[in-house]
Amino acid sequence: MYPQQIHGYLRQFFNENNCPIVNGNEHYMTVQLTVEMDKKIMNRPFYWRYIESVNETPNPAQITLITNIQQLNEGVKGEVVHLGSPRLHQLFQVTKDMGSYVKMYEQLQTRQGEQAVLTPWLSVNYKISFRSQQTKEALHSLGINLMTGAVFQEFQGKLNNLNLAMEPPENVFNLPYIITPVRALDRLDAVIDRIVGEEDRNWAVESKKRWQKDQAVLDYFYEGQDVKPECYEIEKQAMEERFKPRITIEIVNGGLFYLRN
Amino acid sequence: MLIERSSAWQEAFIERLENREQWDSWTLYKMSYDISKNNLITDFKGLQSLKYLPNVTPLAHQLEVAERVIEEMNGKAILADEVGLGKTIEAGLILKEYLIRGLVKKALILVPASLANQWVEELQLKFHIPAMLYRKNFDLDYLDVVVMSMDTAKRSPHKEKIYAQDYDLIIVDEAHKLKNHKTISYTFVQNLKKKFCLLLTATPIQNDVFELFYLITLLKQGHLGSYETFKSTFSANKRDVEQDSFLNELVNQVMVRNRRQDTGIEWTNRQVQVIPVEFTDKEREAYELISGLKDVSSVFSGAFSTITLQREMCSSQEATLGTLKKLSADCRSTDEIAYVNEVIQQLGNLSVHSKAEKAVDLIIKANDKVILFTEYRATQMYLCEYFHSKGISSVLFNGKLSKNSREWIKHLFKQNAQVLIATESGAEGINLQFCHHVINYDLPWNPMKLEQRIGRVHRLGQEHDVHIYNLAIQDTIEDHILGVLQGKIEVFEKVVGQLDDILKTTKKSEEDVHVSATNPRISKTILQ
Repeated sequence: MYPQQIHGYLRQFFNENNCPIVNGNEHYMTVQLTVEMDKKIMNRPFYWRYIESVNETPNPAQITLITNIQQLNEGVKGEVVHLGSPRLHQLFQVTKDMGSYVKMYEQLQTRQGEQAVLTPWLSVNYKISFRSQQTKEALHSLGINLMTGAVFQEFQGKLNNLNLAMEPPENVFNLPYIITPVRALDRLDAVIDRIVGEEDRNWAVESKKRWQKDQAVLDYFYEGQDVKPECYEIEKQAMEERFKPRITIEIVNGGLFYLRN
Repeated sequence: MLIERSSAWQEAFIERLENREQWDSWTLYKMSYDISKNNLITDFKGLQSLKYLPNVTPLAHQLEVAERVIEEMNGKAILADEVGLGKTIEAGLILKEYLIRGLVKKALILVPASLANQWVEELQLKFHIPAMLYRKNFDLDYLDVVVMSMDTAKRSPHKEKIYAQDYDLIIVDEAHKLKNHKTISYTFVQNLKKKFCLLLTATPIQNDVFELFYLITLLKQGHLGSYETFKSTFSANKRDVEQDSFLNELVNQVMVRNRRQDTGIEWTNRQVQVIPVEFTDKEREAYELISGLKDVSSVFSGAFSTITLQREMCSSQEATLGTLKKLSADCRSTDEIAYVNEVIQQLGNLSVHSKAEKAVDLIIKANDKVILFTEYRATQMYLCEYFHSKGISSVLFNGKLSKNSREWIKHLFKQNAQVLIATESGAEGINLQFCHHVINYDLPWNPMKLEQRIGRVHRLGQEHDVHIYNLAIQDTIEDHILGVLQGKIEVFEKVVGQLDDILKTTKKSEEDVHVSATNPRISKTILQ
């Protein structure tokens, strides 16, 4: 992420959370936090416990975040934020926590007397990690039609082009789902399993080869010893943790969507 | 294939379907997806960490090391770059990469106490890794990346606390301290689970090839076979070229070593000279008396005490007197006592030590900052006083100084004093690029100690040629030490790889060759 991307991200994040940007330019911003955001990111539970116990007027913090220190010449003091800085990492985590579940309705213009129909969908964004002594990740965005059970990939891209809101538009009929969201989630999980199953397995084969080679060296070292010492078992265990191929499936976020077909 | 998944998302999703929790914002939802997409690790290979570290510009050789260790060596390696090439940076890169890739959650970094703060600072400031310095009573459950001194870690109750944790990565700095497999430190590290492990040392062999055997066995049991097979195949007296290259290849599978000249960086030269010193007649007499002590009294008959006294005599009267007085307390017969007293008196009559005079000549000629290393505290004090009488300002540095005092002495040396007089224990972990003259006033038995000493000044950031003066008194034990040093350097170069100049002179520099050539005895010892 370039400085301008990060700047854009921060601006959007604080706007969305009702934290006004009180000062700044394209290289830095000073943000007035809300009480809620202060509690989330400033890590001062004792202050908040005190304020709340004595019923004093809370004074949430202002923070200055610098996104491009090279371009800054006004002697602004603040935290330098870049990819990899703890602050940005923290805000990413907050974003993830606050953006995990949605229920959205597509907005349409209807003529007088006309009734439109919206179809329910479940969309889930999966992150797959392939791990052994090395790792790789993949992102899959799936959507399933809760009336027909049809599954689509790259669903998030489709959703991004629609005009969605949290409230249903007027004069629109939302079809009740036939497949329940919980059942639909099971189906998407099965689809993900199939996608994962079709992935190239060479990485796992390679890891197992390395594992066997190291195990052979270790066994040779203790050849002829019937009772093996503790450090043999420790090393064997370490080897398994290092080389054993495994796949982790994590859900980034997902939601219920009412869309025009 | 093992597939891991969590049902946490599903449970919270149902809460919302049943209207018990609020739905989230669409903007944050989209942002979260974008973040995941932007930060996705799309390849098994390559370093992800670089885009997270805008404040670190690793050198080419450091990147190569990090990639090789992760991709080819499966995260288990001895990082053995020469002193001053940035092994800490390499270790930091590897740790960061594993943290980002989620392969390491908990890491333990074992270091000498004097370097602990430096590690924490580097990891936090350069690598944005929330490393913590361990203190007694800290709960290790809550510390993901912890820096601990080896001396603390290996003792109870800390040892047990560590064993109860599940560390993914173990880093040991100054790992040559684990060369002896009979020490508590060695056993402690041996019994740690090493999913990933980095051993850092510029000097994987200090004295003999078995040290390397034990270091590698600690990292990867069985890599060099059992002790018996290793001993019979590679023992010193019947090694040949073929076996050496075979051993070298095995070693290179688990060890990376960059030399200064491989780095593609312009390094200043090392001008190494052996400076022969002549004893005065009186000093020679005292030296012979000391060498004869073993025939007079059983107290001095151990080879070790004679050698110690001889070496001390080559350093200063003060150093010799200290040991002599301590040992003479055990003397019983009047003959013994009389002889020892004569020696003591003889020592008392000596004037300035010839080596000290030579050192002053060199310092005046250098007309610049100089670091002088001695093996003895008594010599350190003596030289400080003598230099003062000659109008040369000096400061003392030794292993007993606290972190703050070390910084203060370093500052004094940089700003005010001309000479830093250091003992061996002071040589670790201080960086003095602003100085480029090193006097080895006494020679240690171990060439790697010399390398560590020189490494204090000959490192990244040094702008001048570094001048190294090895002082040796002719026709004494120090001749022998030079020979032993040379032998050990040869073993190191055969098994591990080339060493930068420590003892011998570079071919380019004719003047230096000339210096050695004036003393045929010594030049023979060095060049044989």
